[in-house]
Amino acid sequence: MAILVIEDEPKTGDYLQRGLAESGFAVRLARNGRDGLAIAREDEIELVVLDVMLPRMDGWQVLEALRAQPATEQIPVLFLTARDEVQDRVRGLELGADDYLVKPFAFVELVARIRTLLRRGPVREEELIRIGDMDIDVPRRRVRRAGSAIVLTAQEFALLHLLARRQGQVLSRSLIASQVWDMNFDSDTNVIDAAVRRLRRKIDDPFAQKLIHTRRGMGYVCEAQPAAAP
Amino acid sequence: MKAGLRHSLALRITVMFVLVVGLAMAGLGAWLYRAFVAEIERRDDIQLLGKLRQVQILLGRPGAAELLRTRPDFFRDTMSGQENSLVRFVAPDGTVLADINAGGERYPVPRSAGPAPDRAAIIGWTSRHGQPGRVVAGSARLDGGALTVIVARVYGERSAMFARYRERIAAAVAIGALGAALLAALLLRRGLRPLRVVAAHAALVRPGTLAQRLEVEAAPSELRPLVDAFNAMQGRLQDGYARLSGFSADLAHEFRTPVANLLGQSQVMLAQPRSAAEYEQLIASNIEELERLARMIESMLFLARAGQDEVVLARQPLRALDELEKVANFYEGMAEERGLRIECLGGGTVLADPALLRRALANLLSNAVRHAAAGSTVTLSASQRAGATALVVANAGMPIAPAHLAHLFERFYRADPARSEAEGSTGLGLSIVRAIMDLHGGSVDVHSQAGETRFTLVFPAA
Repeated sequence: MAILVIEDEPKTGDYLQRGLAESGFAVRLARNGRDGLAIAREDEIELVVLDVMLPRMDGWQVLEALRAQPATEQIPVLFLTARDEVQDRVRGLELGADDYLVKPFAFVELVARIRTLLRRGPVREEELIRIGDMDIDVPRRRVRRAGSAIVLTAQEFALLHLLARRQGQVLSRSLIASQVWDMNFDSDTNVIDAAVRRLRRKIDDPFAQKLIHTRRGMGYVCEAQPAAAP
Repeated sequence: MKAGLRHSLALRITVMFVLVVGLAMAGLGAWLYRAFVAEIERRDDIQLLGKLRQVQILLGRPGAAELLRTRPDFFRDTMSGQENSLVRFVAPDGTVLADINAGGERYPVPRSAGPAPDRAAIIGWTSRHGQPGRVVAGSARLDGGALTVIVARVYGERSAMFARYRERIAAAVAIGALGAALLAALLLRRGLRPLRVVAAHAALVRPGTLAQRLEVEAAPSELRPLVDAFNAMQGRLQDGYARLSGFSADLAHEFRTPVANLLGQSQVMLAQPRSAAEYEQLIASNIEELERLARMIESMLFLARAGQDEVVLARQPLRALDELEKVANFYEGMAEERGLRIECLGGGTVLADPALLRRALANLLSNAVRHAAAGSTVTLSASQRAGATALVVANAGMPIAPAHLAHLFERFYRADPARSEAEGSTGLGLSIVRAIMDLHGGSVDVHSQAGETRFTLVFPAA
């Protein structure tokens, strides 16, 4: 099972292939729509990342062709568009795409979206999350670390819950702003940094082992052992 | 023709002018004709009465009875020997003494109007050939006895004369109307020349010629409003163009600095082999700069779309205090680090697109938190006004100089360039606030004095 990236822009295609491979996915790269469609039909593909602006056969045609065949109609499609126009997004979703991203996007955002799409179906929210020596009781909104209780505000808990739920994944600042505060625009990043600092003062500062890590230029990740790559 | 009437002002006015002139001339012609006819009839009637008088006088002369018996034609001859003249003499007992009637006309006989009849005694009739005739009866004395004299006349040539006269008047009206049409068309062509001047000027308007204006003094007073409006429109266009090109220049400038930094930094780093940590440092720094550029691009696109009304508003009634608190929560961490408190007050509802409302409030609060005096409280408040909801973001701190206030909402305008650049500002935040308020049909205002700066958003209730 592999992710198929259909992207004609050489640099974009290369970095997507490399980045996704390093994030642990098997990646097939097609430089135009026709090749992409051929790969989707012949190989075992579990998700398609589709650029809308393609030469010869554009992304919408590829999407229609994918949805028209029984072999490929179930494959989730995430499309990439450079034109942030409502009709573009609506058109993509109407044609059967599952998600979209507007260029320029943060790479970690793409990885997060791909993981969400691959989870297939609703995941049961874990009630008890354990990271290192930290326990999070989600329904009771209680956090304990090394046996002692930590009191968090509602916002702090929401932030911690998001990071813990996606532990091991790097979360971009815009994703955090959107998920925790419902701020769906590129606000200034200092706001998220300040909120994370505040959370760290309670979660990490009193302890030797740090759980929340900054990935410079990308965002934040919550994990017991700092990993090398996102 | 119908389409032409609707589309050509000159044609429409010409047609109306011709109609008016034609009607006036036709009216005048009709009046003249009637006056002429009445005058001719009056003169003929007077002449007829004169004939009667003449016959009466002749009858009064000695030997008239003899003459009437032997040469009745003599009496007719007194009427200038006209064949059309008819005379009849009737005795009081009704016997016709003489009847001069060569054509055998049958005409009505009016009652005798005495010795001196006037025009009222004359009656009209129609001859066998369909020509108009007039007849009058009067009394006379003959040899001491009474007698009725009837004088009649057929005006054969009159109908033809009237017909000729009518034709002439009609021809005169037609020629007059035609002349008026030509003259009107010619005058209109001349009269509408200022319009063509305006059109020619408008045809020449280009971005480079926007500074040229039409001369208001040279235009006729009716065209002044048009010329004024045209000049004003050109002024607005010129303004818009100036702003647009200024904006492009600003944009290029805004992009040049970070791109130069990215280039320079990367080239310096690549010039020598360096440690992995140093490369990492460079890339992370590049990403930060690129993120700022990406934000700027996103903001620019938002402004461009908002300016063209391409943003679809999902307006709904929202609890104002909830919205304020949401945004306040978002900035809580940052405020805390600067020793600030954020306070939300008021209530009521606000009709707005929730995502855009949050964006506008977030941009204002971001500024407020940045510029608030340490240890102070930033206040967010909602209040209802007549037909509107006002949301106010206020912070204590150094007031903004009045010189800056007017420009604060312009793109890339920075009251304090050095400071904002360092904090990742795009210089577009307040422009976006204004664009969002424009989309809502509302307004944004700023007041800054006595150590307090307050931004007020007014959302109309409907």
